Amino acid sequence: MHQLAATRPSHQAVSRLFSLRDLGYRYPDGTPALAGIDLDIFAGDRLALVGQNGAGKTTLAKHLNGLLKPDQGEITYRGQPLAGAHLTQARLEIGLLFQDADDQLFCNSIREDVLFGPRNQGLDPAEAEAAAEAALADVDLLGDAERPPHTLSYGQRKRAALATLLAMQPEVLILDEPTANLDPRQEQLLLDLLLNYPGTLICITHNLLFAYELCQRAVVLAQGRVHHDDSLRELVAHQPSQREHGLDFSFRFAGDPPQPGQGRPAGSPANRQPPLLAMTGYSYRYPDGRQALRDLTFAIRRGDRLALVGENGAGKSTLAGCLAGLRLGLGNLTLDGRTITSRTRRELTRQAGLVFQDCADQLFCPSCFEEVAFGPRQLGWPSAAINAAVTDALQRVRLENFAERVPLHLSGGERKRLALAAVLALRPQILILDEPTAGLDPQGEELLLDILSKFAVTLLLISHDLHFIRRLTERTLVLHEGRLVQDYATDDFFADADLNSLNQLDYSYRRASELRLRELRRKAAEG
Amino acid sequence: MNIDPQATLVLSPLWLVPAALGIMLVATLALQALQRLVEQPLTELGAAAAGGSPLHRWEPRCKLAALLGFALCAVSLTSLWLVLAALLAAAGGQALSGLPWQGPWRRLQAISGFLVMLVVVLPLTATVRPGDILLQFAGLSGLAINLRGLELALLITGKAWTVALLAEPMLATAAPAATLAGLQQLGLPRRAVSLLLISHRYLFVFRDEAARMRIGMQARGFRPRPSWTSLHDLGNFFGMLLVRSYERTERVQQAMLARGYRGVLPQPEKISVLPADWLAAALVLALGLGLLLADRLAGG
Repeated sequence: MHQLAATRPSHQAVSRLFSLRDLGYRYPDGTPALAGIDLDIFAGDRLALVGQNGAGKTTLAKHLNGLLKPDQGEITYRGQPLAGAHLTQARLEIGLLFQDADDQLFCNSIREDVLFGPRNQGLDPAEAEAAAEAALADVDLLGDAERPPHTLSYGQRKRAALATLLAMQPEVLILDEPTANLDPRQEQLLLDLLLNYPGTLICITHNLLFAYELCQRAVVLAQGRVHHDDSLRELVAHQPSQREHGLDFSFRFAGDPPQPGQGRPAGSPANRQPPLLAMTGYSYRYPDGRQALRDLTFAIRRGDRLALVGENGAGKSTLAGCLAGLRLGLGNLTLDGRTITSRTRRELTRQAGLVFQDCADQLFCPSCFEEVAFGPRQLGWPSAAINAAVTDALQRVRLENFAERVPLHLSGGERKRLALAAVLALRPQILILDEPTAGLDPQGEELLLDILSKFAVTLLLISHDLHFIRRLTERTLVLHEGRLVQDYATDDFFADADLNSLNQLDYSYRRASELRLRELRRKAAEG
Repeated sequence: MNIDPQATLVLSPLWLVPAALGIMLVATLALQALQRLVEQPLTELGAAAAGGSPLHRWEPRCKLAALLGFALCAVSLTSLWLVLAALLAAAGGQALSGLPWQGPWRRLQAISGFLVMLVVVLPLTATVRPGDILLQFAGLSGLAINLRGLELALLITGKAWTVALLAEPMLATAAPAATLAGLQQLGLPRRAVSLLLISHRYLFVFRDEAARMRIGMQARGFRPRPSWTSLHDLGNFFGMLLVRSYERTERVQQAMLARGYRGVLPQPEKISVLPADWLAAALVLALGLGLLLADRLAGG
């Protein structure tokens, strides 16, 4: 274990909010989750709680809110154990933002959800209403207050979930992966909100760029224990510590920032072969009548490696569904020059392998072998071919010893790779990856990047992750409100200063953070 | 025992052809309507709660009591003409709400598939009683249409349509939380109200999750087939859906506890009852009771 914050004199002068002593917890099935946790959190702390997938970060956060009871040791809040009336009061002061906003928005309108906490705090109706209005205004959702949560975009739901906490004016805010799947603009909005938050902040995240902007202190959990408690700046600058805890994101700094015009632009001589997939004047409308895609025209040639970027709700996943033959819109879509119709779209589904944003939507079998064999079995392949395809696919994603494991019990990164294997087993002509890095820790990201960079397959990558885009693609399509607004070389995308005004995709802060971290690492290496 | 009907009208067997064609047409339309309904997206209750009609302004408890009372009177009627009058009154309520007719139309389509079956089957299967009028086709003595059976089927259809039409003004003119608070004030247990509110919210999340998983299976070539393998795959699908729902239930409960939930959902702000609310409720109930009284007097 590294230096503990509890021993730092600077914290002795301020009030101690949480005190955890020898805290231990096992999941109901007996698996150890936390062990020997000694930790003090002080008023005004801005703490990043980091660690690999499965390290116990969310479990620890739930202890801080009294949602889980420790099996051993004790936890106190403001000097008293979290139990009874004190726990009831503590929950009204400690806001916990869940990973999935749908867990947090359980009422039938956003306003009702935001009012839930203030009403439980016992505020009179006028005060509760005023608190809700102020919180909704803070997250820029005042105009959407009466809407049911399921009609909001992902980013809006995330902000609404935050508003449910802000309305309670919490002393402590605990955020569990607040930036997962958010586009850069939504991430920037969230960052601005949190920078202005005056209370104690505990942020669970794999996004060290975001954490670096927001937090000063870093607590690293590994296998349920505190392995590091120091300043975030020290952690970010010290690569061996990160490597030790599986948090090393220096792979993101490999190579120099790209220069415009260096990449292979769309339509260059290397791309003169007939298109594998082509859309002409293609549009798609959801069953509820909302227009998702508008008049799209572009082509994907064999061997192309494309990125598809756009704000949350721009239509990226819907376009992926159309390209995989899962949705059928209006306009012309061809596969190898053959027009896809409702009768032939199964052929498109067969040739396009789509890995979903949430791999839980794709995994439903009792073992990894069954999961990967599912597709080939549907196609009626003989047993020997199925076995060979499963073995090969599991090897390619480095899960060769996982055949008999239960998918539900795998870590986030392993499940993502299993979903990839399930698609690869069908030997698709084009691989479509929808936000492959969402929820992965840096080690999982690095492994996935390594695996993907070795595939010689036509690739369409939907992502907000600039590093993955830079490393894996040569061409970038920019989607905005269902329209294709740019189709150019990826290097030109990185050099595009007008992107923000074009479609509200503001990557500038991520770039600035990245540059600051590079500089910090350089100085640490020199020093 | 041999019961003689009051009259038997004998028709030419040629009438069977248009009758069969008519039944097939109605059944096809009903099936198509049902198919469209299944494919249409779910809409949430109270989606148009922000309207400005008198029904929107009506205090929820009074509105629910009055419209539920009227519905009870309507389903107690025995005269086809009076049921028709109740149906017209319900249609008037829908018109007064200012809500689009798309919602009730879809609801009527949904129930009409089953009602059409009643209209077809009841005239052929109703027990013949003294005084019944039967339609028979010459040469087909075994096939008789009992007009009392037809009237009974139309009566059931009219009542069902009346209640279906009342659902929109009753449930769609206030936010679900306000409507359910009204039901609670009328005696629905608090736990049932909480369950209904949360179920209504997560119905949509569940539907989206199921749709994404179905697409996930389709993306890997799954098509439901009449085979054990297909059944096994569907079993996995439903099993996983159940596991995910259970896990979500746990997380939602934790999210509620984390924001101070102590077993009781906080109540929305109470809306005061004005004399106009009482008056409107009394008028609607009087209309329902008036229809019922007329029905009983006519029947007597």
